[in-house]
Amino acid sequence: MNYLLHIFIMINIYSILALSLNLLVGYAGLLSISHAAFYGIGAYIGTLSIMNLGIPFLPSVLLAVVGSVLLSFIISIPSLRLKGDYFVLGSIGFQIIAFSILYNWVGLTRGPYGIPGIPRPSFFGLTIDSIPAFFIFSLLTAVLCAVLIYIITYSPFGRLLKAIREDETAAEALGKNVTRCKITAFALAAGFAAISGVLFAGYMRYIDPTSFTMMESVYILSIIIIGGTGNLSGPITGAVLMIFLPEILRFLQIPDSIAANMRQIIYGLLLIVILRYWPQGLLGDHKLK
Amino acid sequence: MSILELVGVSKSFDGVKAVDSVSLDFSANKITALIGPNGAGKTTVFNLISGFLKPDEGYIRLKEKNLNGLTPFRIARAGIGRLFQDVRIFKEMTVLENVMAAFDNQVGEKWWVPLIEPFRVKKQEREFLQRADELLQFVGLLEKRDDFAESLSYGQQKLLSIARLLASDTEILLLDEPTAGVSPAMVPQILEVIISLRNRGKAVIIIEHNLNVVSEIGDWVFFMDEGQVTYFGLPADVLGNAEVRQAYIGL
Amino acid sequence: MLPQLLANGLVTGCSYALVALGFALIYNTTRIFHFAHGAVYTLGAYLFFTFWSLWHIPFILSLFLAFIAIAFIGILIDETVYLPLVRRGSSPLVYIVSSLGLYIIIINIIAMLYGNETKIPLSGLQPTYTFGGIILARIQLLIFLCFIVISAVVFLVLRKTRLGITLRAMRDDSELISVMGIDPIFIRRIVFSLGSVLAAMAAVLNSLDVGMDPHVGMSAILSGVVAVIIGGVGIFEGAILGGILLGILQSLAIWQISARWQDPITFLILILFLLFRPQGILGKRRRMEEASA
Repeated sequence: MNYLLHIFIMINIYSILALSLNLLVGYAGLLSISHAAFYGIGAYIGTLSIMNLGIPFLPSVLLAVVGSVLLSFIISIPSLRLKGDYFVLGSIGFQIIAFSILYNWVGLTRGPYGIPGIPRPSFFGLTIDSIPAFFIFSLLTAVLCAVLIYIITYSPFGRLLKAIREDETAAEALGKNVTRCKITAFALAAGFAAISGVLFAGYMRYIDPTSFTMMESVYILSIIIIGGTGNLSGPITGAVLMIFLPEILRFLQIPDSIAANMRQIIYGLLLIVILRYWPQGLLGDHKLK
Repeated sequence: MSILELVGVSKSFDGVKAVDSVSLDFSANKITALIGPNGAGKTTVFNLISGFLKPDEGYIRLKEKNLNGLTPFRIARAGIGRLFQDVRIFKEMTVLENVMAAFDNQVGEKWWVPLIEPFRVKKQEREFLQRADELLQFVGLLEKRDDFAESLSYGQQKLLSIARLLASDTEILLLDEPTAGVSPAMVPQILEVIISLRNRGKAVIIIEHNLNVVSEIGDWVFFMDEGQVTYFGLPADVLGNAEVRQAYIGL
Repeated sequence: MLPQLLANGLVTGCSYALVALGFALIYNTTRIFHFAHGAVYTLGAYLFFTFWSLWHIPFILSLFLAFIAIAFIGILIDETVYLPLVRRGSSPLVYIVSSLGLYIIIINIIAMLYGNETKIPLSGLQPTYTFGGIILARIQLLIFLCFIVISAVVFLVLRKTRLGITLRAMRDDSELISVMGIDPIFIRRIVFSLGSVLAAMAAVLNSLDVGMDPHVGMSAILSGVVAVIIGGVGIFEGAILGGILLGILQSLAIWQISARWQDPITFLILILFLLFRPQGILGKRRRMEEASA
């Protein structure tokens, strides 16, 4: 039973990641391969605030979000001048630099040794110290994030993001401040990713940089490409599918030694097939052309 | 009473002067046509006015305000609207959403406002909805309101982009070949819209290859060739000019 | 110390240049961001390893077989994954993500078949040569030599042959060539096969130098891309220059700052170029303004 709850907790965490990346990719049309960097930055800022600075849980979440958002400006402001492939490259560059800092600045982050013993979330006298409790906590957090993102995307702001995605030049000619909008989208995505990071840290109770690599960014991207972009059901479906995938493989009795590889092969295949035949993903609204 | 003027504007690309010391002026309540053979620099002039290109020399003034160096969106906000030759509608959005997106000063476009002041946003959206429907009615697209923009015919998409332009309610309208590629049956509809825009006091500037359209609705014509303005005046005069006719037939 | 570092950097740069050249061949002509080039790289090394170390096929024949196989695989990748997307008029986003998917598939197949450990095809101490204080291993000289030969061949082909001129023309307008009566599919096959072979060549050489594991392709392709950007996108000579420069810069960086920071420094260089000199060292400033019609 705890195992099933574990899966659902991961679904909650990845749903927030997927929904937030969708703001960037599905709504603003910015293909960013740096989402894991913000996921990790959130996890580390949150954890380090609690453990090194003794800051209580809720303020540390705020700190993680704010830190992630501020760091997003470092990437968004310069890279918005880049077009197409160059923008993607820029985001990859940022991702790798961020990972390197987490990995190599051992004095701050303990690098590859990771940070163990992360306390469970604790606020208003309540401590989330069991798996079922964490499941409820993560579910509520995910629902809250989903509602916020829903309101944001179905608002005039969301409409503006879509317009920018569809034709940036036309949007500019209509008097819209496209650059500021994109920077905002980046910041929002980074902020939500940080929340996922804090959840992850509080659940696993241990973090190290290898959870926040470029391939992790690609994984999150795949979730929304496969599940679908441009609405809310796509990313959530993608998260559910991709997290259940390894379980399905386990059920099919694929030996553990190759299970990890098989899983990756399947999701690589799904990526190519979906982009070719179902560019809107399983349940998405937006076709990736 | 010119509302928009270009004075001595030049723009070169890789050493070729696409626009050479051009001076133009446009007034409200007037349809001014910019004509000339392909490559004369007309679209470049539009790009310069709307801020997608920066002039190498000269300046562009909107009612005494110098536009040089402003970004496109600021120029648009200053009151210059642009219709592109390639329609540039928002394909995966509905006709209604296309128009709604174009309105100015939307409080809901700041991301936090829908979260903390949802009623204020909803109220404004209702107002915009009404105006949008009126605009769609005006261009004759009201029944297509909930269809996706990409399902419209080319001519309808052009009308949609005009409706969108109207939603942004600018005093000056740059229309780049508004009738090009549109089926002949729809042209009168578009011309009617353009004329009524002028009658509402807008300064309408069109780039047009169809000389019939120019003589029918133009109030004033500038003829450009090889980056320079060589003739200007009333449509009858400019179009009757031998050298202008030569430039077109000689194509 | 410095001359030795520079020499090492130069050799590493030669390897980067080969990868970059292969990537540039493909990107300049097809505008496809072939991230899976890194997987082809890895595959090349593993195929050679299989032929030579596992099946004990003679060295030269193993090389030959590996290169032929990789050439075919390169073409296969284009025709099964990229061409269908081209026909649909896909945006750069779709290519790069599909390419990433392909990379993941190939790398994991390799990992499944061969395991994740580092394989060392050539074990034992290698003969070294000394040049006035600089010590280079035989394999490093071989890398340098291959680089010189390939570069010379590339220079000649690009300048003197019809194929070369066509490839350079495609940089500016890839549709022009079908008007010129040249079969675009043929050109694609050439660039994908040759480009892939170049990657395989670099991979084999590197595997003989330091061994290989399924993940070497990632840093190879990233270095190749950075090299192309630094040297100048769209210019073949730029890939070569960029590769050498990158190798040397990395060596200098290691000299001053610890080797741990090699990756972020490389990408910082990339980002600086992307922001301030996107056309690279050899590139010409292209008209970036938004012109609509």
